[in-house]
Amino acid sequence: MEEQETLLGDIRVLDLTDEKGVYCTKLLADLGADVIKIERPGGDPMRNIGPFFHDEPDPEKSLYWFHFNTSKRGITLNLETPDGREVLKKLAKTADVLVETFPPGHLEQMGLGYQALREQNPRLVLTSITPFGQTGPYRDFEGSDLIAQAMGGLMYIAGYLEDPPYRLYGSQAYHSASVLATVGTMIALYVRELTGEGQQVDVSLQEAVSMAMETAMQAYDIKGEIRRRASRPPVIPGIGLYECQDGHVSSFIVAGAGAGWDVIVDWMDSEGMAGDLKDPKWDELWGLVSNFRLLMALASDPQKLMARLEQFGHINEIFTAFLKSRTKGEIYDSAAERRIMITPVQTPRDLVESPQLAALGYFVDVEHPALGATLKYPGAPYELPETPWQIHRRAPLIGEHNFEIYEKELGFTREELAILKQEGII
Amino acid sequence: MAQKKLPFEGLRVCDFSWYAAAPVATKWLADHGAQVIKMEYSARPDLIRLAMPQTPGKEQSLNVSGWFNNQNSSKLCLGLNLTHPKAREVYHRLIMISDVVVENFSPRIKEGLGLNYEDYVKLKPDVIWVDQPMQGLTGPHKYRAGFGAIITPLGGLSSLTGFSHRPPVGAGTNYTDYIINPAHLAIAIVGALRRRQMTGKGQHIVMAQYASAASILETAILDYTVNNRIPARNGNRIQHAAPHGCYRCKGENRQGLYSSPLGPALEMKEDRWCVIAVFSDEQWRAFCDVIGNPPWTKDPKFATFLGRKENEDELDTLVQSWTKERSAEEVMMLMQRAGVAAGVVQDAEDILIHDPHLRARGYYVYLDHPEAGHTAYDGIPFRLSATPGEPRSPAPCLGEHTEFVCKEILQMADEEFDELLVEGVVEVG
Repeated sequence: MEEQETLLGDIRVLDLTDEKGVYCTKLLADLGADVIKIERPGGDPMRNIGPFFHDEPDPEKSLYWFHFNTSKRGITLNLETPDGREVLKKLAKTADVLVETFPPGHLEQMGLGYQALREQNPRLVLTSITPFGQTGPYRDFEGSDLIAQAMGGLMYIAGYLEDPPYRLYGSQAYHSASVLATVGTMIALYVRELTGEGQQVDVSLQEAVSMAMETAMQAYDIKGEIRRRASRPPVIPGIGLYECQDGHVSSFIVAGAGAGWDVIVDWMDSEGMAGDLKDPKWDELWGLVSNFRLLMALASDPQKLMARLEQFGHINEIFTAFLKSRTKGEIYDSAAERRIMITPVQTPRDLVESPQLAALGYFVDVEHPALGATLKYPGAPYELPETPWQIHRRAPLIGEHNFEIYEKELGFTREELAILKQEGII
Repeated sequence: MAQKKLPFEGLRVCDFSWYAAAPVATKWLADHGAQVIKMEYSARPDLIRLAMPQTPGKEQSLNVSGWFNNQNSSKLCLGLNLTHPKAREVYHRLIMISDVVVENFSPRIKEGLGLNYEDYVKLKPDVIWVDQPMQGLTGPHKYRAGFGAIITPLGGLSSLTGFSHRPPVGAGTNYTDYIINPAHLAIAIVGALRRRQMTGKGQHIVMAQYASAASILETAILDYTVNNRIPARNGNRIQHAAPHGCYRCKGENRQGLYSSPLGPALEMKEDRWCVIAVFSDEQWRAFCDVIGNPPWTKDPKFATFLGRKENEDELDTLVQSWTKERSAEEVMMLMQRAGVAAGVVQDAEDILIHDPHLRARGYYVYLDHPEAGHTAYDGIPFRLSATPGEPRSPAPCLGEHTEFVCKEILQMADEEFDELLVEGVVEVG
């Protein structure tokens, strides 16, 4: 059988990432690159991050490890020893990309900086993901996902003004930096095929999240205004979060995006829950909230907004009671039929049960023979029918591919490997 | 000296996309040298052009939205009325001479415009065709409309983010629109360009924004499918660090106008916070040294990591009793000097004006826009040492490059162009 072509089937990646960059190498691996995860002897510290398979803490049962290391091969190598570094140089000769997340300067200290690696392989792309980047006064600062979400401006505008700012779930600074590092790596590979030369890609967690400030930077630049946390119960009817029977729905009824209030009032009326909203006295108000420009102007003018609060409150009361009497699934289906922009706030269970994701074939079953189990993983962020995204294999066990890579591919003899093992190098 | 070539010099992108999730991706292509041609019409513009913030006094213009401008640097704009029956001939010609075609309409509109890969691949086999629908080109919900604001709740991020005693209001912005979705898209596009360069083959890329957003939930999906657990919203806390939170700091007598839609603007910075993250026992000892080892740090209940986790509410209160007497900057510097991870919860003024690190790295780029003036743009968040991109020119005014695109790129004769203008197929800005 002919093997299915992949997007990066000709690319080998050396993976020296921790949590900051491990999604980058997962993306490359699931696109077909031969990603070699390099762990310290005994196993990578990432294996200690939970949750664990059936809540059994064990370095071979970390779901964190499983999720972020799909499609990779794994070897152990001690870079703290001169022999270990020589082995890495050998590997670098065979590689196209090295992705690393050490503090700036650490690779140089080990004699493995870009210049040294370039001497081994001028075609190599070196991608570095660090809290603050390779240059600048904070480059040696300690960082983490929380620090980056704060320093990158994302936290300040998340949540309610009366609460402390909060970080987005799921290490979004790490995810942001990783996806952006992958874009940079792909561009560097594209250029390399034209010029034959590799280069360095520098990604800072702080810079990575800053673009997600949406309008905050520009509001200060253009108007001298500092955007703040703005979540609150809905003021303008139909814009914000509403409770329903089994959770919440997010409503975004804005002119130009889906159906407007005439349709919503008819919907509520068909269920006998429209109150007095069919009365023509509301027509002027529907006109206002159906005009994008007027609505935007209203939202930014406290006086005009205050003058409308009583009317808005009345509409919101009726709308809130209506939504509260229904489940998020019912609301989503009925709203979609009418092209009304209301969306359920979905939990992981809702995603797993989503008929749409099922139709896309999104979730993927991966066999874990050592656990005697098949686990359901999140799937492809994009469809590339000619070169499909795929989980090619489950995450590697500790040192699973040592012999395959060291002996068969790099040509070490069994005797040499025994010595390296004895010296604590592999 | 000859300037280094930009990576995508010579590539043309026919860009039907609007809002954010695809335009940010095509902005990166443009910033790295591609000729990206965006199509809009004043009666039906990219709606972000209408959004705040707008240059004061020019709010009637379609060209002064800071939001729009930031994510459309380095592009050209063809003023084309896509709903006009004669528009199809114009964009058809543009597609035929482009390397990449990008659209992110709802599938219904896409089909109506005849923007179908299946048709075009027959005419142009090496085309890289990019569809970025909300929920996919197939499946029962493919026609469900939406944009970034619905993807954060739909994709699962909102339900997991925030404090457990509060409703799941989400990210504060349409987060996935600016990084996750455009970056996933750009990965696929650049990968396809590389493959085409090596094999001559085009390809089809479909990125459902829903699937892209569902892919960045860390272990939330596996924890559910394997352990049947749904993680509770946990604010700023994580399993393997304590203290790990956001702490109030002293207000600062520094200028800065907070915008506040429902009340008077405040003029002094009172809303000041810092974050601190202590992972190891060694860092805990360093943290205690920084705050002067007050008696409570000797309390046995805080001596171990498990103890600090068990008493995290009390711990956070005690940490804040120290931070609130100091400025956020002071807290960060004291902690960092001792090797403890800490940072200011920076607002836009901090980031754009005061942050010495971002300034030293030259992150923000200022460009002169004909209507919006001298304004700031986000820099490139992935820096290539040999062939760096950058916002090369400000976002285009609507229809700014209509004549150039029609005459120079599409090689229209003057008469043909004039006819299209008169008929309202194209417009100039």
